[in-house]
Amino acid sequence: MTQINKNILRSVLVLSYIVITALILFGLSSIYTYLNTGADRSTMLHTEIKKIDQYLPKLEWAVLNNEGRPMDGQTLNAIENDYLDAWYVKQVAYKTNTTEGIDDYYTENARKNIIHFVEANINNNISVEGTTLRHHLKLEFFSEDGQLAVLTDANVLEYKRVYENKKLLLETTETSTYNIVLLLEDGFWRIRHMTKEESRDYKYPPKPEKNLVSDIKGINYYPQATPWDMFGDKFDAQIISKDFKLIKNSGLNSIRIFVPYDDFGKANVKPEKLQKLKQVLDIAEKNQLKVMVTLFDFYGDYSVLNWTLNQRHAQIIVSFLKDHKALLAWDIKNEPNLDFESRGENLVTAWLDKMIKLVKTVDANHPITIGWSNIQSAPTLKDQVDFVSFHYYESLEELDTAIKTLKNEIINKPLVLQEFGMSSYKGIWKPFGSSEEDQANYHKKAQEIISNNNLQFMSWTLYDFIKIPKEVVGRLPWRKRAQEHFGFINQNGETKPAFNYISQP
Amino acid sequence: MKLNFTYLLVLGLLSMIFIDENNDEFTLITKETQFEAGKNIELEFSGSNQEKPTLYISNSYGSSIIKPTLKLDVLGYKLPRAICERTGVIYWKLLSGSNKLSGKLSIYPKLEVATMETYLGPPSIEAGETDYSMLVVIPTDVYDNPLPDSTKVIVKHQFLGNLSEDVVLTRNRISFKNIYSKTISGRILVASECLDKDSKEYTIDVMPAIPTNFTISYQQNHNYADGNQITTFSTSIIKDRYGNIVSDGTYVQFFITNNSNNILKTSGTTINGIATAKMIHPDHEDNWIIKAYVEGIAESNEISLFYKKVIEDFEVVFSEDNRKITIGPLKSFMNQMIPDGMEISLSIYENDKKIKTLYKSSYEGFATFKLNANDFPNNMYRLKIKVAGVGKTYSRIKL
Repeated sequence: MTQINKNILRSVLVLSYIVITALILFGLSSIYTYLNTGADRSTMLHTEIKKIDQYLPKLEWAVLNNEGRPMDGQTLNAIENDYLDAWYVKQVAYKTNTTEGIDDYYTENARKNIIHFVEANINNNISVEGTTLRHHLKLEFFSEDGQLAVLTDANVLEYKRVYENKKLLLETTETSTYNIVLLLEDGFWRIRHMTKEESRDYKYPPKPEKNLVSDIKGINYYPQATPWDMFGDKFDAQIISKDFKLIKNSGLNSIRIFVPYDDFGKANVKPEKLQKLKQVLDIAEKNQLKVMVTLFDFYGDYSVLNWTLNQRHAQIIVSFLKDHKALLAWDIKNEPNLDFESRGENLVTAWLDKMIKLVKTVDANHPITIGWSNIQSAPTLKDQVDFVSFHYYESLEELDTAIKTLKNEIINKPLVLQEFGMSSYKGIWKPFGSSEEDQANYHKKAQEIISNNNLQFMSWTLYDFIKIPKEVVGRLPWRKRAQEHFGFINQNGETKPAFNYISQP
Repeated sequence: MKLNFTYLLVLGLLSMIFIDENNDEFTLITKETQFEAGKNIELEFSGSNQEKPTLYISNSYGSSIIKPTLKLDVLGYKLPRAICERTGVIYWKLLSGSNKLSGKLSIYPKLEVATMETYLGPPSIEAGETDYSMLVVIPTDVYDNPLPDSTKVIVKHQFLGNLSEDVVLTRNRISFKNIYSKTISGRILVASECLDKDSKEYTIDVMPAIPTNFTISYQQNHNYADGNQITTFSTSIIKDRYGNIVSDGTYVQFFITNNSNNILKTSGTTINGIATAKMIHPDHEDNWIIKAYVEGIAESNEISLFYKKVIEDFEVVFSEDNRKITIGPLKSFMNQMIPDGMEISLSIYENDKKIKTLYKSSYEGFATFKLNANDFPNNMYRLKIKVAGVGKTYSRIKL
């Protein structure tokens, strides 16, 4: 007995010794690591500032014809970067009422102006969320020693949301012209003088509406193996080609696809993703299908400071595809009304409105719509879109009346039932779900309502999917299972009864 | 019935107009739209009811909201000091109703110069009337606002008794003037004046232009190749093409090519246009050709120097079974003992094959070699001794 006790005592002693040693070692190493961190001398020169895309408004330089020293590309680039950063830190300062970063981009005298505003706004509980969407820069002067530059920034398109006590007080879009004197200090081009020379409310010039969509008989498309990940590593042109042939042969004439925001690289749209997107449109063209491209999917931030990045994303994709023969229309965003509650309806609609205007300036020829998730939201921004799209997953009983109500509200624009469908899942997670026959009846009836109301449509969806990413409907199995069974073709590749009603009643 | 409908419509329209007017019940009283920087600005509106809308303002740097004070049905919006002091356009909007009343004010700078923000660069330029330095002047008022365009700025500069004044007008808030160098190097003093405010003094250094070709000369005590004395080379006064003496510190390299086509290099930097460099005499008869360069820019003429032999002959004494070899006395041109440090070489051949070369420096005119028996076993050797380019060979020395 004493023997055992002694052994226990020994092992406890040895163990505690090991533990204490480990703790001391850990402590010493933490102190050592701590002492080795800190400012690196090279940071004094500001040579290592990492360039991340945080503010990318549309910016045009006028042809260089400045007084003084001839400008070189590298310096011009440095000026442009620092000038935009100056705007960015200013927007952040007025949004958060702090002065972080202001010192780097404004000279000692100039920064006082911003500090005054921040102080005044703190006192009055004001905050301003702003961004600039367009700049037209002209280099007026560059000094011989390369230390001073004068710019004119004409017709800067400024968007601001002014809050008082966190309540939106004013939303304003202005266009202003600035004269700016910049100095090169400590490796930064800093704003020394900034003078607003002109400012007024901005009204977007009216763009002709495009009511070109007619007779859309379409389907929302994802490949069976890679739903919600169409442009990933498993992208397979042959499968898509086969599917498109099938869609065409089933009597449909168009498809709707989605551009995931993060996956495409945000503001820095990845060229390989663009190529895949173009490939999809090429295949569609070969199969005489038209493509409705949803520009934003899996995006839900909307914060004003990121607008320039969102717009850059859209601009790259739109200008890349705008001349493609298979392009049918631009769907700005998939189901943005789902974000009304979390982000605020006003902010989301403002974002959509500005995005529509951007897409129109880039591509004046293709019609624009927004994929509202329900029929109640459909009239939102009806004057901005070229045709109105909505999704419908509720009972078909009310669809007919709902359409008639909507038609009263939207008189002269085409309506597209952009998503509708029924899951044929009936199983352990949903014992009272619908059967494949129910699904067939649903589509038959839906098609009848569609043709009675002269509606255009895009159904959800071609395939029963095997794996649904958790980002789509969450992790709950009954949701996932249901989402897997919306297709006209089941997981084994056989057509379900509903397939008969894919394009007509 | 139809009449009724029309009546209703007209009434409806009227009420709409009425409501619309209701929204725009505020009118701007302040007529002035141009203000001098620093003056207090108060925008006044007349309003009939008790509504006190806030005012949005936006100037060159930011935006804010102002609350009104109500005095006898007049709404007064006092702009903050910092905003009154900053030039540029102020855009305002009265936050009331759907048709928001809006307008613009513009603040112009106080036409008094408080500071002359001056930037001069580059600080040194080259003589010759082509290079220039640029003076940028931003006259600013007491609130740090740049003065309006077309403000007169007088740029003055002085150089060697010449005083000149130029009038430049500001454009894009700045004024600038290129100040060209003359053909003479020196210092240009620059100052500027705007609305009776004078700047301080600035200077531009006009450096001489690049050197032109020059000549070189030498000085030496004697022309004997004693390996001891030093020859000093110096350049003529190096000047640029306008006759300015080149900047002190201009680097001149002297290349010396000797008889065996080896190149020796020495260098110096100029002081008052003259660069000097030194080289020790060779220790044997030699002929040097010397040429100097300011690399890539200018070069000198070639001079040649002959160094006479100092040692015609020398004595060699063998002792201690020929294992001790004493060389000397080595005598120089006045029969004086040659200065210490003359290099003497002894090459040892066995069967016409060189085994070793030993070197010694002379000391008080002599040098002694001791051949170790371990290194050189007893045999017949050939010895070759060389002093200051003079050689002597002993073909069969028995060790």
